[in-house]
This record gives sequence, structure tokens and C-alpha cells, in this order.
Amino acid sequence: METERKFQILILDDEPIVCKRLKPALEKAGYEAETFTQSAMALHRITEKEFDVVITDLKMEGLDGMAFLTEVKKRYPKTEVIVITGFATMDTARQSYQKGVFDFVAKPFKLKEILDVVEKAIAKRTATEKGNVP
Amino acid sequence: MNVLHRLKSWFSFGKATPAYPFAALFKKFQNILKANNDALELIADMGAKLSGDYVFDRQYILSSSAELSDQVYRLIVDLNTLTSRKYLELFNRYERIHQSIEEELAGKWILPQGDAVIAYEAMGQGLHELVGNKNANLADVKNVLYLPTPDGFAITTSAFRIFLEQNGLYQMIQQRLQQYADEAELQEAQTPQSIESIAEEIQDAIRNGQIPESLQREIADAVRALQQSKRSSGLFFAVRSSAWGEDAEYSFAGQYQTLLNVASDRLLDAYRSVLASAYNPSALVYRSRKGFQQHEVAMAVGCQLMIEAVASGVLYTMDPSADERDVAVVSATWGLGAPLVEGMVAVDTYTIDRQPPFQLRSMHVVRKPTMLMLSPDGGTETRPVSPELENKGCLSSVQLQRLVEMGMLIERFFKRPQDIEWALDADGKFFILQTRPLKIRPDSGGPTLDIAEIAKRHPVRMQDRGIVVQRGVATGRVFLLEDPDDLEGVPHACILVTHHTSPRLARVMRRIHGIITDVGSQTGHMATIAREFRIPCVVNTGMATRIFKTGEEITLDATQNAVYEGRVEELLYYEFTEEDVFEETYEYRLLRRLLKRISPLNLVDPHESNFRPADCKTYHDIIRFVHEKAVEEIVDLENSRVGSSGQARELVMDIPLGLCVIDIGGGVRPQADEKRIGRRDIVSVPMNAFLDGLETSGMWDSEPVSVDFGSFMSSMTRTMSPALSDPRNAGRNLAVITDAYFNLSLKLGYHYNIIDAYVSDQVNDNTAYFRFLGGVTDMTRRSRRAGFIGEVLERFNFRVEIRGDLVIGRIKKCPRKIMEQKLWMLGSLVAYTRQLDVQMHEDADMEKHKQSFCQRILARLQEESQSNSLQPITHNP
Repeated sequence: METERKFQILILDDEPIVCKRLKPALEKAGYEAETFTQSAMALHRITEKEFDVVITDLKMEGLDGMAFLTEVKKRYPKTEVIVITGFATMDTARQSYQKGVFDFVAKPFKLKEILDVVEKAIAKRTATEKGNVP
Repeated sequence: MNVLHRLKSWFSFGKATPAYPFAALFKKFQNILKANNDALELIADMGAKLSGDYVFDRQYILSSSAELSDQVYRLIVDLNTLTSRKYLELFNRYERIHQSIEEELAGKWILPQGDAVIAYEAMGQGLHELVGNKNANLADVKNVLYLPTPDGFAITTSAFRIFLEQNGLYQMIQQRLQQYADEAELQEAQTPQSIESIAEEIQDAIRNGQIPESLQREIADAVRALQQSKRSSGLFFAVRSSAWGEDAEYSFAGQYQTLLNVASDRLLDAYRSVLASAYNPSALVYRSRKGFQQHEVAMAVGCQLMIEAVASGVLYTMDPSADERDVAVVSATWGLGAPLVEGMVAVDTYTIDRQPPFQLRSMHVVRKPTMLMLSPDGGTETRPVSPELENKGCLSSVQLQRLVEMGMLIERFFKRPQDIEWALDADGKFFILQTRPLKIRPDSGGPTLDIAEIAKRHPVRMQDRGIVVQRGVATGRVFLLEDPDDLEGVPHACILVTHHTSPRLARVMRRIHGIITDVGSQTGHMATIAREFRIPCVVNTGMATRIFKTGEEITLDATQNAVYEGRVEELLYYEFTEEDVFEETYEYRLLRRLLKRISPLNLVDPHESNFRPADCKTYHDIIRFVHEKAVEEIVDLENSRVGSSGQARELVMDIPLGLCVIDIGGGVRPQADEKRIGRRDIVSVPMNAFLDGLETSGMWDSEPVSVDFGSFMSSMTRTMSPALSDPRNAGRNLAVITDAYFNLSLKLGYHYNIIDAYVSDQVNDNTAYFRFLGGVTDMTRRSRRAGFIGEVLERFNFRVEIRGDLVIGRIKKCPRKIMEQKLWMLGSLVAYTRQLDVQMHEDADMEKHKQSFCQRILARLQEESQSNSLQPITHNP
């Protein structure tokens, strides 16, 4: 167990409480999580490191979530992106899915909900990886 | 928009339109019913967010508060339209509550109202904002856990507010702090110079402030009371800070001032000095680093009688540094503990098992040449320790056992390892001086928790069943509680497994570790109480009582919602080391403060004198008031227009109910007659379930109960609301229905029911509300009947409120079949209780009737379920 690679998750939300709550929950579920409250910092971080899953809010000051996730998908098409937002409109949902977002979770959400979605995203990613390796 | 403006626009709007057609008024009534349900849902929703099961942000708090304010405002508008502007005062009430909510959201500095001075023994639970955490913790240790603590009193944050107001310091401090925050932001790094000078300015102003005379008097009274009880005039105090946030998740250790051995005539100076320490430079920096908003500052102060300590020290209920965590650590020194806490002296150290019998694992005794003692005239002095004691350990193993046992009790209560200051007096008695959460750092190398690994060693007994009401981890032995009335046998430190939730469990909440139930809701009373005590709690599992047996050891992880076999220490410790306790986050505190202005219900009984707009203190009060008056008004309107329209139709039934039905959307068969309809014409799901219970349960006793003369007289003098005392009301009952909804105002004999229910296949929309009031007999008998009804409702998992003879029961979000059962039961209950108060001769009748009713109903439901029309009552997912 110990030798297995831990899946890497990046969380971007401008409200610190969301990061504060998600990080320990994800760590407890066996993932490694990094949190950011500023999109610029998160954007910098993805130039240094590839994450398995990115969880991002949509509406933030500065670079917004949509632009951030676009950049993530451009750089790492296999990274699964989960959008969390309090302003879920059909339009933003459609737009996110077009950009290849894995799933869309409306705030407030239960910890269990997001953990389930992350688990599915990881499963999908592992499946893709296996498919690519002969 | 301010209130005057609103009222003006209201009046001008009203002038042009003298009377509305009934259809329009009825539309308003419908709006009110809908908004009423929506608003209550929203309140419950916001309350549920406090469970910790959700991730919510500030945006959620803002938008849900705004939505609720909107709903409440609309309710008031609609009620005033309906009643020709009878209740304009509600706008003022609304404005006041709305304003205070906006201020909270804007981060204004709002200090609590309340007593300025409170003795420790008079301190109820949950006064953290008023007395500060340190005082509140100590009061819990004293009044809840019954452990010895020093006598004394708290000078509250309300006194702090009065002090600041009377000295005109409120504004000044706000300005300086803002200036500090701005500068800090501007320069990114805080410039020490500006902090120093700002801190100094504020502190000077406080030290030179006048203590208001009323406060001086109250402090003097508290001192006098202590002098009388101690039979001594020369009292000396430890004067300790107890600020907001202190001794909670953040210790603020050493940030604020403590003064020892202060003579009673020096108390006021000491008080000012401790207040000023709220603004010392390091506290300012500490707060901003820890995410405290500057407006979240309030200083309460504790004045405790000095203990003449022979030895003192600190107990950590868990060793934060050891590899092996199953030990507690005690450090001790001769005399007072201050030098130990400040790290000024070498001290004895002991490690002790955390489990009974608390055996001594190791000891390290050092030479202690000096000790701090009380000076006879106040203050403290350092004295040499006598040669024979110098190298001797301060505590015996028996004393250590006692101390650690006390510590573990405190840890269990506060759900965290504790950092406890203690003192031992000359009689060998331990006192707890203060207790606060001890922060445990995870092992180096990061969290090592691996759920999959755990599951290999500890089989999962139950997973993802039911609803998490309070998160957290608990270990203990199962105690299967069969009869919620029989709480005597509930052992300490158990995990309680029970069929349904009951607010009566509050009595044992202090000694249990966790709760799992078969049925129950997130918003029930017990849920509220479990959250109050932070007891890990999962309800509505549908299976717990079948799975678990008394005596087996389990670990309840109410964060992941799983139950493991055996004692999973890793989980417990992992929980202890979590960076932030959810309950300590700013958003949690904010939401909780807002809910205090939103959800308490003060207006319960429409017959009480406080049932009026001027007494609405919360949104819930307004909502309740509007609902009551709207129903009253529509009943009146209906009565005044009898025969004027074909809208209200008489329902012909075997039982003489005198019921009129207004169908507002698919509740009656389209082919039905325009004046008189029969049972078969009703298609409203909840209405049918209710009427079935009323008619077919066999509970409608058609034999009239003889009413004795006393009962008769008392019925003559009962005051009824105008709508009810109107003679035209006799035999006039009203149901407003749709296919999935009914609102029934039912007057039977001399009592008054409201049943309001929505039942469809949309589980989340399903609700039932039952209200019962009135009766022909004296208050005692009526209260007995109310007690009986309350117990029955609780038995069927309703959330129940009882005041006098008023009973309110609520249930929601059950699947359609279950909701139909509940309404069927309510129908039977209404039939059964029709004239029951006349028979309520003594208290024992309550129990007798409960037994007989529940047995009959359960038997009937069982039969019905076999014929497949209703499911068995215990099958509640």
C-alpha cells in the first residue's frame, strides 16, 4: 500500500473555507491535496506539476475558473477537472462540459458527494492510463 | 429601501384598491402557504449546514440569508394584502431583524446583550459568546461534569460592551483597527512600529477608562456574595482573560493577561488591565494570522478565588510528542503553577496510561529549589522549597490516577485531547483551573491514515447508511437502548444504538460517546442536542438495532459515515490532529450567529399575550405569525361569503365533520358535483390518507363522553381567537387541497387542529405539519392530553414541540408511502383525541392511552401492510 503512488489533487477556490474543508477530507481518503485561493498561484503550480484531478470554483476574482480549467485541459488533456460552484446555471454547465469537465458539483455539497465524484474521476483516469499503456 | 419608504409605497398602493376579489385574496393565501413552507425549509437547511457534513462557503451564507429575507418580506406583504393591512407593524420587526443580519454579514462588531456579571455556578451551557470560552469551559467542568473548580464569577462581554460604550471607545478602536488592517494589507508585511503605537493607544484608553457605576455595583455584589458564602472578607482572586476565540481551537496561550492573588479592592484595576491586554501587539498579530477578523474581539474576564496550592501543574490528556499516543502527561511543581506554564523552572514529569486503571508508566523527578507562593497582601513571591521536599516528587501514583481520570472525563466531553491547568490544595483536593483543547500534530511525514488498511483489520459493520447529524469519531461499547424512557441503565462511554431519536436522550448526552439510530431526521430536536454536545451521531440507518448487540466494541466514524468492528485508534487520533475543527471556522461562527436571529421560535401559542407582531424577535416568529393569521383570515373570509360562490364545496362523509373543501389544483375529480362532493371525489393524496385514518381506524368514538360540570364551565370561559369564537364557525371546517397538498383547519368539539401536508413522489418535498390546541376541560387535563399527543407523535418519529396544551408535530422527507402512513395515523389520532381530555383524570392516563393507541395503530398498520396498501411502520428508510 505504502509504495503505491498517491493520486495528486489540486483544489482552487477563492474562499479559504472550501480549501480548508476539502484538503483533510481528501487526505483522509488517501489522496494528496494542494490548495490554492488565488488562480494565479494555481496557474503557476500547474506549470510545475501534473495533477490527476483538479477541483476548481468557477467564479473568482482575477482569472476565473473557466479560464483556469481551459488552461489545465490544454496542458494535460488527461487530467480530470471537477467544477464546484454556487452559481450553477445551465449555460455554465454546458460550457464546462464542452471544455471536457468531468463533473459539476453545486455548492454547498456534502463531503461524501465530492469524494464520490473524485473517486469516479480517478477511476476514469486510471482506466485511460491503462488503455494507453500496451 | 428603508422602512418608511416601504410603508409609504404600501399605503399609496392600498388607497387605490379598496377590496380585492376573493380569488385574488385566495391567491395571496396560497402564496403565503407556499412561502411559509419554503421559508421553514430554508431555515432547516441552513441549520443542517451546521452539522459539518456539508462544505459551504460565505457565498452560501449570503445568498441563503438574502433569499430568506426575501421570502419573509413577501409573506408580510401578502398577509397585509389579505387582511387589509392589519399587520403593518411586522414591517418594523422585519426591518430590525433584517438590519441585524446585514450587520453580521457586513462584519460589524456586535457584542452580545446579557448579564454583565454571572457566577460560575449560575452559568448555563452555550454562553461562550457572553462569558468567553475559558469561562464557559470551566463552567461546564463545574456544572456538567461536577469536578471541583474555584468559585468565582465572570465579567461578561456584555460588560465589555457597556464599558466601551460609556467611555466612547467603540468608534475609536474600530477606526484604529481598520487603520491597522489597511496598513497591513498595503505593506503586505506588518510594520511592527505601527502595530506598537496603535496597540499602545488603544490599551492606554482602556486602562484610563471609567468603569460604569452599574458594573461596579454588580461586581461588588458578586464579591459580597462570595464573602458571605466563604465567611471571609479578605478574598483574593485570580483574574483571567476569557476572550472570544481563546481556548477554543486556538489557544491564544500567553497572549492575554492573567493576574494572580488580586485583593478584592483591587479588582477593578485588574479588570481594566486584562481588558487592555486584548489589544496588546502580539495578540493583534496572532489574531490576524489565525484568520480572526478584527471585529471578532470581545473580552470577558474570569474572577476566580485563589487556591492556596501546595502543588500545581499541567495535564495533557494525550502526549503530543510521544510515538505512542496512549499516555497522558502530567507536569508538576511545588506551589503555584505560573512559573511552570511560563517555562521558567524545571518540573517533574509523569506519563500515565490513558485507560483505566491509569497506571504510571514513567516518572522524571527533578530538583525544585524554589516555588511561587501567595503573598499575604496580594500578589505572589518566590520562596525556597524546604530541603526535604526539594528532591521529592510532587504527586503520588494514587493522586496521578485521580488527576488523569478527571482529565479523561473532560477530554470525552470536549471531544479533543485537553491541556488542563490544575492545582492541589493542602487538603489533597484537586481543582481544575482551566481547560482547553490540546493541539496534536500528525506524525512527521504527513498523515498515514489508510482506510483500506483499516478495513482489513477492522471489518466494516455498516457503511453509508442514514444521515450524519454530527460528524466526528467515537469508539466504545454498544448499548442497545430498547426503551428511550429507561435511561438509567445507559453506561458511561458507550455508543448508544436506538430505534428512533428522542430529545429525552439529552439526559445522557454527557456520558455517551456516540449515537446511531434506525430512524430520525437531521433537523429533529435530538439532532440539535447531539450537535450541542458534539456527539458523533448518525440517524435513519434503517438497520442499526438489528446489526449491533450490546457490549460489542465498535468505532463510529461519523465523518466518513462508517462503523468498524473494534477500536480503531488511528481514526480517533487522526480526528484529533485535524488542522481545523469545523466548528471553529469563521463561516461556522457566522452562520451560527445568523441563525440565532433567524430560527428560535418565541411565538408559539396564539392564545398567549405575546402572540403579536411587536413580539416577533426572529424570522421564524414572523413566519409563524403570518401563517396563523393567514389561516384565521381565510377561515373568516370563507365564512362571510357562504353561498356566494360555488368554490367551497361541502364534503359529505359518514362522520359529521362539517367540512368544506376548496380545490385549488387537481385535488377533486373533475366530474364532481359543484356543491356537494363525496369521499370518492377526493383525489388529494395526503387528504385521502388523513380521512382514511379518521374514518377507518375505528378510533372515532361516536358515543358522546359525558362532560362534568367543571369541564363545561371551563369551556364557557375559554377565550378563542375571533375566527373560532364566531358562532358561524360551528361545524364549519375548511380544507384547501391540491392533488399533492392539503391544509386542513379543523375544529372538533372544542379543540382546534391544523394539518398541513404535501405528499408526492418527490421525497424531498414531502412534509407534514400537525398542530393541536384547545379543549373543553381545565388546563391540567388539557396538558395531559397534549402530553399524550406529543408522545404518540414522537413515537411515530415526528419532531415535537409542546407548550401547555399546544402540540406541534412535524415530519418531512419520507417517501410517499411512509408519509401516507403518518397522515393515516394523524387521522386516527384526531379521531381518538376528539374528546379525550375529559377522560384525562390523572397523569397515568397519558401512558395508558399512549399504549392503547399505539398498539391499535401499529396492529392496524401491520394488517394493512400485509394487504399491501401500506408498508410496515418500522420500515422507515
